[in-house]
Amino acid sequence: MIVTGVTLLAACKQDFLNTQPLNQISANATWADGGLSEAFVTNIYNGLGNGGFDEQQLSSLSDEAVFVHPGRGINTINEGTLSPSNLGWQSGTYEWGSMYSQIRATNVALENLRTATFDDTVLNHRLAGEAHFLRAYYYHQLVRYYGGVPIVDHSYGLNQDYSIARSSFSDCVNFITADCDSAASLLTGKSLAKGRATAVSALALKSRILLYAASDLHDITTAKSKSTVISSYANPELLGYTTGDRVARWQAAKDAAYAVIQAGGGGYKLGLSAPATSADAQNSYLSIAMGGGSNAPGVDKAASAELLFERDFSSQLVSGGPGTDGTSVGLDNGPNGYHNWAGNAPLQQLVDDYEMMDGTKFDWTNSAEAAAPYKNRDPRMYATLLFDGAGWKPRSKITSNPDPVNQIQSGQYETTPGGALLAGLDTRQSPVENWNASWTGYYMRKFIDPDPNIVDNNTRQYIPWPFLRYTEAVLNYVEACNELGQDVEAQTWLNKIRFRAGMPATTETGDALRQRIRNERRVELAYEEHRYHDARRWMIASATLGRKIVFINVVGNLKSGALAPSPYKHDETLYTYHYTPVQDNSLENRTWLDKMYFRPISRDEVNKNAKLIQNPGYTN
Amino acid sequence: MKKSGCGVSEDTGRLIIKRLLMTKLAVLLGFALSIQSFANGYGQGNINLRLEKTPLKKVFRAIEDQGFFRFVYKDEILPKDQRISIKVKHETVENVLAEILGNTGLSYYKLSENLIVITRERPDEDARALVAIKVTGKVTNDKDEPLGGVSVQEKGTNNGTTTKEDGTYSLEVTNPKATLVFSYVGLGSRELAMNGKNVVDMKFTASLENSLKDIVVVGYGTQKKVTVTGAVATVKGSELEKSPTVNLTNSLVGRLPGVYAVQASGEPGYDGSTIRIRGTNTLGNTSALVVVDGIPDIAGGLERINPADIESMSVLKDASAAIYGSRAANGVILVTTKHGKTGKPQLSYTFNHGWAQPDRIPKMATATEYAAINNATYIYDHISDPSEWSAALTAFNQTGTYISPANGTQTAPFQPADVKKYADGSDPWGHPNTDWFKTTLKTWAPQVQHTLQINGGSDNIRYLASLGYQDQDGYYKNSATGYKQYDMRLNLDAKVNKWINTGINLTAREEYRFFPTQTAGSIFRMLMRGRPTDPEVWPNGLPGPDIENGQNPIVITTSQTGYDKDKRDYFQVNGRVEVLVPWVPGLKLTGMATADKENRIEKVWQTPWTLYFWDHKTYEADGKTPLLTKSVRSTFTSPQLSETNYNYLNILLSGFINYDKTLGNHTINLLAAVTKETDKEDDFNAYRTNFISPAVDQLFAGGAPQQNVGGSAYERAKLSYFGRAAYNYKEKYLAEFTWRVDGSYLFPQQHRWGFFPSVSAGWRISEEEFFKKSVTFVNYLKLRGSWGQMGNDQVYYLKNGTPTLYEYQYLSTYGFSNYVINNQAATTLYETVVPNLNFTWEVANNTDVGLEGQLLNGKINFEFDYFYNRRTHILWQPSGSTPASSGISAILPPENIGKTENKGYEFTLGYTNHSGPWSYSISVNGGYAKNKILFFDEAPGAPKWQLATGHPFGASGSPNNGAAFLAYQYDGVFRDAKDITDNKVDYTGVTPGLKPGDMKFKDVNGDGKIDGNDQVRLNKTQDPTFTGGVNIRVGYKDLDLSILFQGATGGLLYIGTESGDIGNYLQYSYDHQWTIDHPSSTDPRLANRGNTYYTGGGARNNTYFLRNSDYLRLKNIELGYNLSPSLLKRAGISQFRIYASGLNLITWDKMKIWDPESTSGSGQYYPQSRILNLGARVTF
Repeated sequence: MIVTGVTLLAACKQDFLNTQPLNQISANATWADGGLSEAFVTNIYNGLGNGGFDEQQLSSLSDEAVFVHPGRGINTINEGTLSPSNLGWQSGTYEWGSMYSQIRATNVALENLRTATFDDTVLNHRLAGEAHFLRAYYYHQLVRYYGGVPIVDHSYGLNQDYSIARSSFSDCVNFITADCDSAASLLTGKSLAKGRATAVSALALKSRILLYAASDLHDITTAKSKSTVISSYANPELLGYTTGDRVARWQAAKDAAYAVIQAGGGGYKLGLSAPATSADAQNSYLSIAMGGGSNAPGVDKAASAELLFERDFSSQLVSGGPGTDGTSVGLDNGPNGYHNWAGNAPLQQLVDDYEMMDGTKFDWTNSAEAAAPYKNRDPRMYATLLFDGAGWKPRSKITSNPDPVNQIQSGQYETTPGGALLAGLDTRQSPVENWNASWTGYYMRKFIDPDPNIVDNNTRQYIPWPFLRYTEAVLNYVEACNELGQDVEAQTWLNKIRFRAGMPATTETGDALRQRIRNERRVELAYEEHRYHDARRWMIASATLGRKIVFINVVGNLKSGALAPSPYKHDETLYTYHYTPVQDNSLENRTWLDKMYFRPISRDEVNKNAKLIQNPGYTN
Repeated sequence: MKKSGCGVSEDTGRLIIKRLLMTKLAVLLGFALSIQSFANGYGQGNINLRLEKTPLKKVFRAIEDQGFFRFVYKDEILPKDQRISIKVKHETVENVLAEILGNTGLSYYKLSENLIVITRERPDEDARALVAIKVTGKVTNDKDEPLGGVSVQEKGTNNGTTTKEDGTYSLEVTNPKATLVFSYVGLGSRELAMNGKNVVDMKFTASLENSLKDIVVVGYGTQKKVTVTGAVATVKGSELEKSPTVNLTNSLVGRLPGVYAVQASGEPGYDGSTIRIRGTNTLGNTSALVVVDGIPDIAGGLERINPADIESMSVLKDASAAIYGSRAANGVILVTTKHGKTGKPQLSYTFNHGWAQPDRIPKMATATEYAAINNATYIYDHISDPSEWSAALTAFNQTGTYISPANGTQTAPFQPADVKKYADGSDPWGHPNTDWFKTTLKTWAPQVQHTLQINGGSDNIRYLASLGYQDQDGYYKNSATGYKQYDMRLNLDAKVNKWINTGINLTAREEYRFFPTQTAGSIFRMLMRGRPTDPEVWPNGLPGPDIENGQNPIVITTSQTGYDKDKRDYFQVNGRVEVLVPWVPGLKLTGMATADKENRIEKVWQTPWTLYFWDHKTYEADGKTPLLTKSVRSTFTSPQLSETNYNYLNILLSGFINYDKTLGNHTINLLAAVTKETDKEDDFNAYRTNFISPAVDQLFAGGAPQQNVGGSAYERAKLSYFGRAAYNYKEKYLAEFTWRVDGSYLFPQQHRWGFFPSVSAGWRISEEEFFKKSVTFVNYLKLRGSWGQMGNDQVYYLKNGTPTLYEYQYLSTYGFSNYVINNQAATTLYETVVPNLNFTWEVANNTDVGLEGQLLNGKINFEFDYFYNRRTHILWQPSGSTPASSGISAILPPENIGKTENKGYEFTLGYTNHSGPWSYSISVNGGYAKNKILFFDEAPGAPKWQLATGHPFGASGSPNNGAAFLAYQYDGVFRDAKDITDNKVDYTGVTPGLKPGDMKFKDVNGDGKIDGNDQVRLNKTQDPTFTGGVNIRVGYKDLDLSILFQGATGGLLYIGTESGDIGNYLQYSYDHQWTIDHPSSTDPRLANRGNTYYTGGGARNNTYFLRNSDYLRLKNIELGYNLSPSLLKRAGISQFRIYASGLNLITWDKMKIWDPESTSGSGQYYPQSRILNLGARVTF
C-alpha cells in the first residue's frame, strides 16, 4: 500500500496524462519527411471518390439513363422538386462540403510544402503541382454544378470569420486556370505514377473549364435571352461573364484544347483516314472504356493511352460492400436476369441518338429502321448498351439452362402463335429478381468488364474511371473551332473520332456541324458525366433533359408456322419482333425548370454564411 | 482425538472454539453438541500434565491440547500474575480443576460432558448466563393466527429450528441475552432479543425495523439507508435473479425508478438494454458509469455478470454520484458482489432452463393480399389519369389486362388465374403462400444456466467462489446463432491481524458469441422482404431460391455459409489492503490495485453456398416433379477468412484515507483518495481469400492476392484526487461535502484539470421530539437535498454515422488512410482535426430534492425525488454555425459550447402486509425525465420552428443525431379528384402532380407552398419520457409469487418498411390504405418502395409514419415453492426452491406492429424475447 501511495503521489509530478496517439503522426513530423508529405498529398485524391462509379450515376440525371430503384432522391432533381431544403441525391464527388474539405487539404499542402524541411525539391515541386491540380479540379467541380463559388485559397484556423461571398464566375475560371498553369509547369518533366495527375491532366482540365466558360450558359447576354429565370437574377456575374469578348473566350478554349492535342500523346487510334469496320470500331471504343483494366479477350490495353486523368481501383482496396467502392459496376448496372441491379438504365432517347452507319439519323417513322432498330447503327451503341437480343456474358445456369445462347431478354415472346407472352429473363416480369429489372428495356454495358470470368454478381472489376481523356480535348477543340467559324479544322478533327468509331466523315458546316458535334459528344462521351453539363451549358436542357422518359416495348410474335424454341432464344427466322417506344412517367415524371441550370446551395449553408447568395430560381 | 465427529472435523472444531474464546463470544451450542457427540468414545479421566509456573490460560490450553475438554471463559476473569505448577497423570478433570483453580477465586461447571465453563466464584450475571437455556415461544401473525414453518435461529450461529403448525417452537441457547432471528418466506426476517426471558413470542407484523436498518452501498463506502442524503435506488441481487434473462441489463427495467432501460434487440450476445439514468443528460456519451466492486468502467460492463453473484445494486442518480467524478455525470450503477459469510461452508446450485421466442413477429400480407397491393400500385404508377383507375382495377381483376386510352395496354403483374392459385393453395410449387417468419423461426429456442456457489469462512478468512455456465440458442431453425458463457468468481476477505484487513476479488469469464456470416439485420431484412408469392423452401424440403445476393433465410441462418465466432475473455483481479492505524482510532488507510484485462478474438469464415432453383416449366422425367437445379448463389466463390485479435488492459491504482469519529452526538466521516488509471489496447486483423479448399479454415491456407492486414493501438490515462466530509448529529441532521480534482488525457495540457464540488444534506424529521409525539403514524420521514458538479471528459459524437470518442483534439496530427496509385494501395495521411488548445471539462450540475418515509410501522413506504440537471460546457463541434466552405466543418475540434437541461421526478410507493399464512406487498415506481437543449450550435438563419434548441434530444447516434424529430405535419389524405381540385396549397416543392390517395401536409409557415420550411421540430424523440413499474408480491406458506408490470410512455418510432415489388407489406399497411374502391381520407395510397413523395423523397419524414411507442407489459413473473425445511434437514439440505418464471409475457401497446421497445422502424432487427423458464435452487 505504501508502494501504491508513493506511485500515486509520484504520478502527478510526471507527465502521466501526456499520452500520445499511437495511430497518428504529428503534422510537424509529416512535413519534415518527403514520404509522409507525399502520403498527405496522395490522400487528397480520395476526394475523387469512386469517380463516376457510384451506384447512382450522373447519367441518370440526364437524358442518357434513368435510375431503377426509387426513393434515392434522384427524381427530386429530375422532377424539379429540388430546393435548398430538398437537395435530392448528391455525389460526394461534387457536393459542396466535400469539395471544400478537399480544397482545404490542398491549401494545407501548398502552405506546408512552401516551408517543408525535407531535402528533395523535385518531390516538393511535384507534390505542389499535384496539389494545384487537385485544387483546380475540385473548384471546377463546384463551378460546373453551382456557378461562381467562394474562393478559399488558404487554410482557415479556428475562430475566424468564415463568412465569405461567392466570387464571380470569371474569377473562379481565372483561379482554376491559374492553378492548372501552375500544376502544368510544376509537373512538366516529372515522372508520375499511374493514377496521379500529370502536366497533361492539368492542360486537359484547363481545356474543359475554358470550354465551359465560353459556352452559352456562361455568356450572360446569351443566357438572359434564353432564360427568364437568369434574366431576372440580380447577380448574373455569379453565373457567367457579364462583360468581355466571347470570341476571345472561344479562342482561349481552342488554344487550351490544342495544347492538350499536342502534348497529350495522340490518344488511341485517331490517325485513321477512313472509317474503321464496325467490329474494329466497337473494339476500339470498348478498349478505351476498359482503360487497360480488363483482361477480356480482344480488349486492347494500349487504349489506356486515351486516359489523361483517371481513378484506378485495386483488389487491395476492396473495402465496402457492392456499390460502394467503384468495383461493382456490373452488379450495379447489369441485367437482373444475371442477378444484377440494372441501376442506370439507358433511355430510348439515348438509343435514338446513335446514327445509322451511313451517318443519317435514326428515324422511327422509317418503317425499315423501326422494324430493326438495332441494325446498322453507330458501332459505339453496341459497346455502350445492351438491348433485347444482344449477346452478353454467359448467364449463370440457375434455372436449368434458360438461355444457352447468352442473350439479353428484355422483351416478351409468344410461346404459341397469338398465345400468352413469355416475359424475358431481363424484364420486370422475370422469374429472377424482377424488382431489379430495367424499366427501359436496356442495360448499361459501357463500363462493365466483358471478361466472362468476372461474374458481375459476385466478382469485382478493376476498370479505371476516366476523368479526362484525350478525345474529350479533341471534342473541345472541334467545338471551339466550330464556334469560331473554323469549320474545316473542326471537321478534320471530328472525323478522326468518327473514323475510329466506324462512322463516315462529315462535311457539314455552321449550325448543322454544331448539331453534329453535339451529338458526337453525346454518343462518344456517354456515361462519362458530360451530358448533364453539356446540355446545360448549351442551354438545350429544356428540350433534352426535360423530356419525359421513353422505354422500349419489345414483343416477339411467332412467324406463321414457326414453333417457339425452348428455351427461348432470339431468332429472327422464327419471330417477328415489334418495337414500340413507350413514354412512361411511373418512375420519374421528368420536367425542366430553368432553376435546374444550377444546383441549389443548401439552405443550411446559406443560413450559416450570411454573405452567400442563392442560385436563381430557388427560394427554400 | 483420532477421529472426527458428526460433520465437523476436529481441527475445524477446535479452531472455531478457540476463536470463540479469543473473541469472547458466547459458545455455539451447535458446536458444543457436535463435540460432545464425538467425545462419546472416550473416557473422562485421562489428563496428564507437567507444568511449571504456567499462566492459567496456558494450563487450560494444555488440557485442551490433550483433546477432549474445552474451556469457556472470559480473559479478564483470569488472574493476571498467577502462575501454576502442576504434575498429574491419568487424573480426572474434576481433580485437576480443583487443584489448579484452588487459589484463583474461580470455579467451574460443566455445560456438557466436555465443555467446561470457568466462572468467578461469585459469578456476575454474564458469566452465570452461560448455560444451556431452553427457550420456547409461539409465532403468530398480526391477527394472532399461528404461523408454521417459520425459521427460528440463534443469531450468529447455525443453531436453529422451525415452528410447528401451531406456531410453537423450542430451542436451546447458551446465552440468555441471545438474539433470535425469525424468518419467514415472503415476510423477511425479524430479530428479537431474549433479554433473559425464556418464553419468546413473535408477532410477525410488517415491521419497520428491518428496512430502516438496511445498509446501502454508496460511492466508496456504505451508509445506513436512513442517513443517505442522495438519491440512491437499490435492488437486491435476489430480485434480479427472478428475471429469466441471460443479460443482466434486461432485468433492471421497472425495478429502479429513474433507470431507463430499452432493449433494442434480442439477439444472443447483443441482447443488452441501453441504460440511462434519468434519461438523456447530454448530447454526447450518455452511458452511466458501471462500478463493480469498486472498479469503475469495468471491461465487459454490467451485461454478463452472473446475477447469482450479485449481493446488491445501487444506482446513484444525483450528486451522490459526484464522488466518482469524471465518468459519473450520467449517474453511477454500483454493483456489489457477494462475499463469504462466516459459518460452515454453504454450497448452492441453481439451474434454469428457459425457452425463448420472439416477443412479437410482424404480421405480413398474405400472397393474395400482396398480389392485390402490387396490382394496385402498378395502376397508380402506370395509368397516368386517375379517372381510369377504377376501370383498370376492374379489368385487372377480371381479365388481367387493361387497355388505357392514355397509356396503352397494361398487364397486371398478378393475373387473375395466379391470384386464384395463391388463394386456394392448389399449386404449392408454383403458387405458394409463404410465411417467411414461420418457415425460418422455430417455436422455442432453449437456454440454460447453471450456477454453483460455495461460500463460508471464519472471522479471519471468508470466501465466496462461484462458477457459472450459460447456453443460449437463437430463434432460427438449425440456428448458427447463440451465446455461451463460462464465468467464475472468487472473493476472498482476510483479516490478517487486528489492524490489517485484506481482500482479493477475482473474476474470469469467457463470452462466446457465434453467428452465421450474415448479420441479424440482413436476415430479418430478408424475412421482412420475403414475398409471400415466392417459395422459401420447396415442398420437397430443399431450400428455395435467394431473395437476392444468395440470401435465403433458411440457409443464411445456418452454418452452411461458414461462421462468425467472437470469443471475449475477461480476467479481472482486484486486491485491497486496509490498515487501521493503531495509534489513531478511526483512521484507516486503504490501498487498492486492479487489473482489468480483455482479450478478444473474432473469426469470420465465409464459404460459398448453394440454393435450388426451378424455372417453373421443366420437370423430371416423370413429367410432374419440378426439376430443381443447384447453383452457387453466394456473392463470392472462394472462401474468405478474417480474424481480429484485440487486447485490452486497464490498470487502476487507488489509495484512500478514511477517518471516522463519533464524539457524543456528533459523527464525522472523512475520506481522501487518489486514483490513477491507464488503459492500453492493441489490436490486429488479417484477411485472406482464395483458399485452396473450404475444408481448411486457417489463415495460412488462403491465397496471397487480396490478403490484407491491419492493426491499431491506444493509450489513455486519468488521474484523480477526491474526498468527502460527512457529518451528522444524532443521525438526525445530516450533511455531506465531496470534492474532486480530475485530470484527463483528453484535454490539452493547460486545461487538463477540473475541480468539482458537491454538497448534500438531510433532515430526519421523524427523529424530532415534536414529530415523534404529534405524528405517531409516521415512523420515518426524511427530507434531503443535494447539489453537485461532475466533470465529463467524453468528447463523443458521430463519425461517419457511428458515435465515436474523439481523442487528442488538441494535437495537430494526421491519420492514416489509403488510395490506389500504380494499381496498388498506397498509404496516405489526412488531417484529422483543426487542433483546439482551449477546451476542457463538460460540467454536469445536478440538483435533487427528495422526501422519503414510512408509515404505519412500515406497512407503507414512499420516496419522492425531483431533479433538475443542467449540463454546461458540453463538448461539441460548432458545425451548426460553421459554413462548409471553411473546409473545416468535418474536422472541427470540440468546444465547450452546448448547454442542456433535464428535469423530472421519480417516485416509489409501497404497501406491505400479511394476513394468516398470506403475505403480500405491492410497490409502484416511476420516473419522468424531460430534457431540452438550451444551446446547441445551429445555423443562425434557420426557421425558429425547426431549431433543435428548446426541444428535447436523444443520445448522439440516435435518429437525427440526437435532435428531436423534424417532420412534415401529416394532415390527412386527398381522398379523391375533387379533394385535389379544392386544394389551394402548392405541392410542387414535393411532387410534380397530386393524385388521389396522396398525403396532405400542413402549410406551417403559411406561404401557400409545401416545402422544406414546413417541417416542424417535434417535442418528442425516440426515447420514452416516463418509465415505471408495478411490483406485486404474494406469499402463502411455502409458495411465493412475484409479478412485475412495466411500462413506458412518451417516445415515437418512425415506421418505414422496404415494401413493394422488392418486398412484402405489413398486414397493418394492407389494412390501412387508400384503395381505388375504398378511398380513405386518413390513410394514404400504398407505394412501391419510395415511389411517392411521402414514402421517399423529401417528405418521407412526416408525422403519419411516426407512431406512439407507449406500452405496458407483464414484464416478469415468478412463482416459487420452498420445500419444507424440516423435510430437507434430514437430507442435509438447508434450502430447496423450485420456481417457474416468465419474461415479456403480455404487452399492451398502440403500435401493435412489432415490439414497442424496438428502435428499428423497418423490422430489420432480431426481435426481443418472450421467455418461459423453470428453475431450481438447492443449498446445502
